[in-house]
Amino acid sequence: MGEPLLEIKNLESFYGPIMAIRGVSLKVDKGQIVTVLGANGAGKSTLLKTISGIMDPEKGEVLFGGKPIQGEEPHKIVSRGIVHVPEGREVFPLLTVNENLSLGAYTRSDKAEIERDREMVFDYFPILAERRDQEAGTLSGGQQQMLAIGRGLMLRPKIMLLDEPSLGLSPLLVQEIFAILRRLNTEEHVTMMLVEQNARIALELADIGYVMEIGRIVMDGTADRLMQSEDIQSFYLGHQEEGQRGEKRWKRKKTWR
Amino acid sequence: MNMQHLGQTANPQVLINGVSFNADPGQRPVVVDGCATITQLFQQRCAAQGARTAHREKDMGIWKAYSWQDYWDHSKWIGLGLMSLGLKRGEVVSILSEDRREWLYSDMGVQGAGGIASGVYTTDSASQLAYLVNDSDSRFLFVENDEQLDKYLEIADQVPGLAKVIIYEREGLHDLDHEKCLFIDELYEMGKAYEAQHPGAYEAEIAKTRPEDTALLIYTSGTTGMPKGAMLSNENILASIEAGARALEFTGNDEQLCFLPLCHILERNVSVYFPLAATSTVNFAESPETVFDNMQEVSPATFFAVPRVWEKIYSRVLVLAQEATPIGRMAFHAAIKAGRKRAEYVMHGKPVPSGVAANYAIWDFLVLRNLRRMLGMDKMRRGGTGAAPISPELLSWYWSIGVPLIEGYGMTENAGLSTTNTFESNAPGTVGPAVPGVKLRIAEDGEIQTLGLNNFQGYWRNNEKTAETFTDDGWLRTGDVGRLDEKGNLTITGRIKDIIITAGGKNITPAEIESRLKFSHYISDAVVIGDARKYLTCLIMIDQENVEKFAQDRKIPFSDFASLCAAEEVVQLIGAEVEAVNKEFARVEQIKDFRLINVLLTAEDDELTATMKLKRSFVEKKHKALIDDMY
Repeated sequence: MGEPLLEIKNLESFYGPIMAIRGVSLKVDKGQIVTVLGANGAGKSTLLKTISGIMDPEKGEVLFGGKPIQGEEPHKIVSRGIVHVPEGREVFPLLTVNENLSLGAYTRSDKAEIERDREMVFDYFPILAERRDQEAGTLSGGQQQMLAIGRGLMLRPKIMLLDEPSLGLSPLLVQEIFAILRRLNTEEHVTMMLVEQNARIALELADIGYVMEIGRIVMDGTADRLMQSEDIQSFYLGHQEEGQRGEKRWKRKKTWR
Repeated sequence: MNMQHLGQTANPQVLINGVSFNADPGQRPVVVDGCATITQLFQQRCAAQGARTAHREKDMGIWKAYSWQDYWDHSKWIGLGLMSLGLKRGEVVSILSEDRREWLYSDMGVQGAGGIASGVYTTDSASQLAYLVNDSDSRFLFVENDEQLDKYLEIADQVPGLAKVIIYEREGLHDLDHEKCLFIDELYEMGKAYEAQHPGAYEAEIAKTRPEDTALLIYTSGTTGMPKGAMLSNENILASIEAGARALEFTGNDEQLCFLPLCHILERNVSVYFPLAATSTVNFAESPETVFDNMQEVSPATFFAVPRVWEKIYSRVLVLAQEATPIGRMAFHAAIKAGRKRAEYVMHGKPVPSGVAANYAIWDFLVLRNLRRMLGMDKMRRGGTGAAPISPELLSWYWSIGVPLIEGYGMTENAGLSTTNTFESNAPGTVGPAVPGVKLRIAEDGEIQTLGLNNFQGYWRNNEKTAETFTDDGWLRTGDVGRLDEKGNLTITGRIKDIIITAGGKNITPAEIESRLKFSHYISDAVVIGDARKYLTCLIMIDQENVEKFAQDRKIPFSDFASLCAAEEVVQLIGAEVEAVNKEFARVEQIKDFRLINVLLTAEDDELTATMKLKRSFVEKKHKALIDDMY
């Protein structure tokens, strides 16, 4: 195993006086899907924003291919091949699907290759091909999510940072999108770092998982190991332990082992 | 109502902070304001204090006050309710709950009805609960809520002796239908109904109780074998109150904060029985996690805690100081320096030279009084520590910031208090001299032995263990080893059972080495191993917060607790701490190797006592692989 593609060391980020990330270290190897799980306010999105340069870390390092990139401007980080698919899609609503995809390839000039990638995106998301001339704002939430991912793919990223792609989507659509993410990983070898609240679907997809709570990593391991953990099961997968009364209001204490 | 007992009070009395005690401590009958039993004192206090606030508890974020009258009424209803359900004198009732006023109501209710109260830790498992209920032969069980109730339901068929289970909180249990379960308000109603039929029944039972009757069972944490129920009589507790009132000042205007488990003799004394005498107000912390916030809100006059809590507060302050502005940090350090100079005098009861005092006054005004206010220690007259060794460094730090912190020593078997330092004679590093009314001696093998009316009656239904605990001439074997200095101050060096005999035949007291290790901010606890081994080794539990901070400051990547323990720099850090401690000991007493326990232990784990101390026997068993790896 060579050097990890993305490595984060002792990262600390602040929102004003609030420390949102309190010393996070993690690694993403090439070709892997790594997921970061956590509840609202755990600092997951902040972590992605700090990697993609939208926020500057107070402390710590972000190494991409071994080189420190923390504190660089977002556009420079994009040009290094790090694509951030933000939470809540954020497609350009008044531009067409096609135009949105073209914007994804904004930094590239190899026309023929761009067109090939556009076809690839349409291949993975046939519905986008059907609606290529429609304004993105008129798409459904799931289609917008697909477009946001497709737009990210247009850069031929070395790594995609996905911020809650399941947010606000029906379970069926979530299944569909995650199946496509799986294919993108196996067929196109796209490395992904996925931030999710939907732990079940994320752990099914990912190779490695990290659990974040109030700005810290409390547990990490292979996705299989996390799936087996009692804490993950009861706090993130919603397994109900068999209570003595057939119902249970209280939660066991977390131990993270 | 107390005529009979007042008649017994042949001893001359003396007033201490407005409460009357025997002028000569340690004499029978032990009386507090003329009362010779806990519930007599309780009755007298409630009658006299009436609408004054006895307790405060937070309800939906707001502190609510509960009077002595509430204390009396609810306890009486519980006592009568239990009597109507068939509780007989001398029978045991177990209480499984976090600290809250109903805990105290149940304690007094049970005792008033002539029963014996026995606390169960909320961190105990269902099977431990089954053991405790069966061993104590409990007739009734109080449980706090659905979580604790589930423990009972899991073992319901293993505890046939229980007549009823009474639940404090209804939440989540509205459709509970179990023949043995009822809610506390239902018990209150039963009590009221019983009172209507038998007026004065509760008062009559209180009057029947003799000083020599067992009042409570306290199960000792049992670092070896199964827990044993120590029987403490009314007289034992009153002797403890008598000694406490003399050695430690409590007043009726004091605010206190209750947060350690009430199953533990320390918190029980400090938050239940001492306030009965002093009529101070007890505030219940919302939860163990909110203690520091509750401290600020309550700003207690006296505060007892185990060393771990004092360490945590200290760490918090250091972290805050490091995050302050450079000027703030400079001021903080200068203030601590000025405080330390003064502490060298006040800590030892010496007069402070005027220059030192003046310098301190400035820094106190600028920094320290604000710090104390932030910590909720601005009104603290006295802090107390016990139940585990505390670093002398830490003691002096508290004195430096203007918080007088003194160390005492006691155990369940002598009702929680046998020695303590006082402001008049403070000898930091020792646990002080014997409290008034208690005698202390060191046996030939170094064991500390005590004699006094606070010595317990024996272990519940376990004559064999009881006999082992007393010497032929009736002194209590504490199981601790120690030495006395010329002024009578006691220094504890360890547990007699823990003495390690290495393969080379050397006797070593591990506690001495362990407590030195624990004084490091990075080590929260340690267990030295080496019995019948060639050399000593050690298992170490790191202090999560401080080591995480260390790693973060030095950019040492880690994710979870295990990876933190595995970080080379962390191992080196602890190695250096071990090395530093090694220098203070002879060659044979030095630690040759160590391992970190890479699991973050909680109070639910077998390896930890409720006060978060490592249990040697469990640690040795559970981490055998780690130990074997070192030999």
